[in-house]
Amino acid sequence: MVKSAQFICIGCPIGCPLQLQHQGGKIMEISGHECNRGAKYARQEFTDPRRSLSTTVSISGAKWRRLPVKVTEPVEKDRVTEAVRKIHELQIAAPVRLGQILIHDLLGEKNVNVVACRSMERISTA
Amino acid sequence: MLDRIGEKYDVVVVGGGPGGMGAALGARDSGAEGVLILDREPEVGGILLQCIHSGFGLHYFREELTGPEYAERFLEKVIQYDVDLATNSYVSGIAIDSDGTKQVRVMNEQRGLFTVDTRSVVLSMGCRERTRGSIRIPGTRPSGVLTAGLAQKLVNLEGYLPGKRIAVLGSGDIGLIMARRLILEGCEVVGVFEIMPYSNGLTRNVVQCLDDFGIPLHLSTMVAYIYGRDRVEKITVAPVDKDFKPDMGRAWDVDCDTLLLSIGLIPENELSQSLGIHLDVITGGPRVSSTLETSMPGVFACGNVLHVHDLVDFVTQESILAGQFAAEWSRGIRRPMDNIRLVPGDNVRYCLPHTLSPEREHTIYMRCKQALKPCRIRVGNLIEKKLRFVVPAEMIMFKIKPDLLEKFHGDTLRIDLVPDVQGENNG
Repeated sequence: MVKSAQFICIGCPIGCPLQLQHQGGKIMEISGHECNRGAKYARQEFTDPRRSLSTTVSISGAKWRRLPVKVTEPVEKDRVTEAVRKIHELQIAAPVRLGQILIHDLLGEKNVNVVACRSMERISTA
Repeated sequence: MLDRIGEKYDVVVVGGGPGGMGAALGARDSGAEGVLILDREPEVGGILLQCIHSGFGLHYFREELTGPEYAERFLEKVIQYDVDLATNSYVSGIAIDSDGTKQVRVMNEQRGLFTVDTRSVVLSMGCRERTRGSIRIPGTRPSGVLTAGLAQKLVNLEGYLPGKRIAVLGSGDIGLIMARRLILEGCEVVGVFEIMPYSNGLTRNVVQCLDDFGIPLHLSTMVAYIYGRDRVEKITVAPVDKDFKPDMGRAWDVDCDTLLLSIGLIPENELSQSLGIHLDVITGGPRVSSTLETSMPGVFACGNVLHVHDLVDFVTQESILAGQFAAEWSRGIRRPMDNIRLVPGDNVRYCLPHTLSPEREHTIYMRCKQALKPCRIRVGNLIEKKLRFVVPAEMIMFKIKPDLLEKFHGDTLRIDLVPDVQGENNG
């Protein structure tokens, strides 16, 4: 039986309503897109939806109490919450450098790292 | 951060966000020797420091960066360009001498109240958020009602959660991004309420911040009442008709302990007003010439203090230009006076700069009043071209070449956005 999945394209502010017909996991037809980005987006969302992810973690000895971090590659959509939980376990002590790797191979995915999005100096508390 | 303040400068920049840093770099590139950035916060970077999501830099760096990454790249350049920086330093006024020298009055912890002399000034104070007072929501005055940007600062820099059960009023991008942010930090977000019949945020943010997490978006809905003695206990929300009048018969209550407001931004121009600078009532920012100079000679403006931008990349582009013209001014270079006024016409909310000169190429920034798809943009009788769409949330930017302006003989150039009738027939 042919089934239908709906998406709203995020490529630009038009936000085309996309329909994707599929049967047994195979894409039959994509419609509703005004440009190729829409078709590409629907295909990606159907086969392997991913999200870029950034959050903050605890840092001590720095100007602020939170350090912004990001995951270097988009994370599987269904594992975003799991990824955030893992990242939030981090306790960083200043100093830290922009781009410094804080977690290697997040969720066991090769070369998917969590990195610092800024540098923070160590502040003497004396 | 290393603070350094001298006595005399070519260019003093008020505000060290992306606008201020861009202006300082532009000024140094155009031959200004002494450039100083003053910022009232403990570090420069402005609002970028709390915008930890990605999506910055696609135009300028050709890669997708988070706010803090974008800020740090510019800070490194600012240091490398030998720009003086003073943080925790508040500008309380600017006096202008008869010879055009500006005395910037500054206050900070180390030196108290003092002045620095400069030939030109760039205003880049950014903008601030509209608050509950500006839309007058009825009800009690409990804690737990705060702007989305303040919540963003509390969560992303200071490590505090603003509450546990959050309602969001307004579907601007900051509101949408904070809804996702608070979910990821373990809060419950009970809904986003938007008075307009459409979302004010990017589709990308509606999909990835709300839909992904099952957060309901209630369009054409307003917050009609806030309850709670010490802390927000609940709010009443009501659907609105096309005149934005609430239908209390269909209102319902929403349990929550926090109401975030994402209801618009206002350029922060108290300093500009104290100087007597002419403001544009639509943008809320200064009226500027094609060199981004305000009505006060030698005082320039850029970034969100001039008009609220949706992309930081455009702030950077604009502010580098402002810095270049401020540096020219400080070196005694005077461009010929602009002789063409640029005015908004059909479906154009505003357009900048306010005047143009045929001397060189200009970048025009503008916004539409209403969405049109597809449409045509007409600039006097000089330019007519088709656009796939225009929406109020997305700034429109284009360039006008000097040879076109040379052909123009009037004194007022009008921009119109009109429906593209041919396109409609095809569609």
